[in-house]
Amino acid sequence: MSHQIEFSGVKKVFGTGASAVHAFGPVDLSIAEGEFISLLGPSGCGKSTLMLMTSGLLEATEGSVLIGGTKVKGPQTDVGVMFQDNTLVPWRTVRGNVELQLEMRGMSLSANKDKVDQLLTSVHMEDFADRHPYELSGGMQQRAAFCQAMVHEPKTMLLDEPLGKLDAMTRERIRSDLQNLWMQERPTVIFVTHSIEEAIQLSTKVAVITPRPGTIERIIDIDLPFPRDFEVKNSPEFAAYVRETQEIFRGYGVI
Amino acid sequence: MFIAFFIGFFVFWEYSVIWFDIPRYILTPPSLIVEKGAADLDRLLYYTYITGLEVVLGYSTAVVLALPLGLAIAFSSILKRTVYPFIVCIEMVPKIAFAPLFISWLGFGLLPKVIIVFLVCFFPIVLNAILAFNSLSEELTLFSRSTGGGVWRTFIKVRLPAALPQCFVGFKYAAINATVGAAIAEFIGSDEGLGFYIQIVTGNMRPDLAFAGIFFLTLLGLSLFGLVTLAERLLIPWHISVRRG
Repeated sequence: MSHQIEFSGVKKVFGTGASAVHAFGPVDLSIAEGEFISLLGPSGCGKSTLMLMTSGLLEATEGSVLIGGTKVKGPQTDVGVMFQDNTLVPWRTVRGNVELQLEMRGMSLSANKDKVDQLLTSVHMEDFADRHPYELSGGMQQRAAFCQAMVHEPKTMLLDEPLGKLDAMTRERIRSDLQNLWMQERPTVIFVTHSIEEAIQLSTKVAVITPRPGTIERIIDIDLPFPRDFEVKNSPEFAAYVRETQEIFRGYGVI
Repeated sequence: MFIAFFIGFFVFWEYSVIWFDIPRYILTPPSLIVEKGAADLDRLLYYTYITGLEVVLGYSTAVVLALPLGLAIAFSSILKRTVYPFIVCIEMVPKIAFAPLFISWLGFGLLPKVIIVFLVCFFPIVLNAILAFNSLSEELTLFSRSTGGGVWRTFIKVRLPAALPQCFVGFKYAAINATVGAAIAEFIGSDEGLGFYIQIVTGNMRPDLAFAGIFFLTLLGLSLFGLVTLAERLLIPWHISVRRG
């Protein structure tokens, strides 16, 4: 398997001199194509910083990020980015918001109509395509935002706590939608979260990040079958992964 | 409820003039205002047209010039450090205080009034436009960059629509200022217009006609504000202020 994304010695320092804040790194990490890797860590450990550096929206202070063998310099367009606060605009409908991604890239709307429909259907949003974001619940908004982030079929998806602001039950449901989308399209996903269960349920690999300055403490391969439904989540193997991860954070005094 | 109160107000006005025995040259009842106003309708309509012309010309010039300037200041760090502080300083000056000067420079005609209306409208539009174009959320900024959409596409599809609600705050504020500016400019020196009319008939102890003038001035202000509100409803029906309003 080829390495889709490679981090080598990536480090981020904000500011200079005495007021400089060492936010993240140095980190080395290789992510294979089609992998779903979670960056799991406490608040303020620099997970989002790593994501922004991967998408080229933020420059690394040291080291380099390679996507598909090419060094990241400036914003990457073959990625789908999703932020904790979604990027749905209030003046467009759900469909219009998904199409905004295509329009911004100068992609044809008519050629991609089926794609938009199919994405909306796969997250159960087909009946809400003509609604505006303010008419939807937080969970529905995030579903629409998933479609917006992947309608241009990016090879890499960067998801920064996309479920962070949702209630526990809605999160549960959207996780399985997200898993289905990933299994269907198979992009390489970097998923930022601070939920241990969420990371283990969704990921092929979990990178455990230490408190600031964030570095990778351990990478845990999650060897469980997909789709990870209710049965898998209640299996002893799943519980063992949760336990293993919790131990690491307890060592840091985070939990 | 509101309409009942409104009617009640005028009924009270009508009869209080009789009850309290107020001389007609101080205050006239609404019925007399309607009657005498109707008799002088030709002059009132013509002056409404004159003042309306000042308002429309001044207001639209302000929109046309202030919006691009606000945009330019929002996106240029040089302009933000030079022109912007200057505009903030000028905003502190009461523009209406310039009216006598403009009239002495440019005479009693239309132009000095248009300039005054322009000045009282220009600044709220500029300042709100700067705020509007500088307020795009971090997420939408990053999203736009991540699409590689470029400056123009980002502007048309994201920045401009996102900025419209705040721009309308300026448009509405300016719409309120516009008639006030025109009327005061006319008070200071003119031979036409509703401000001129109100001043002359008041001097002739005709409060009935003064009120008729005020009525048309109000109508003018409401019409402009109504038009701006209509444009707002059409352009940003999605915005929370419009949805709740």
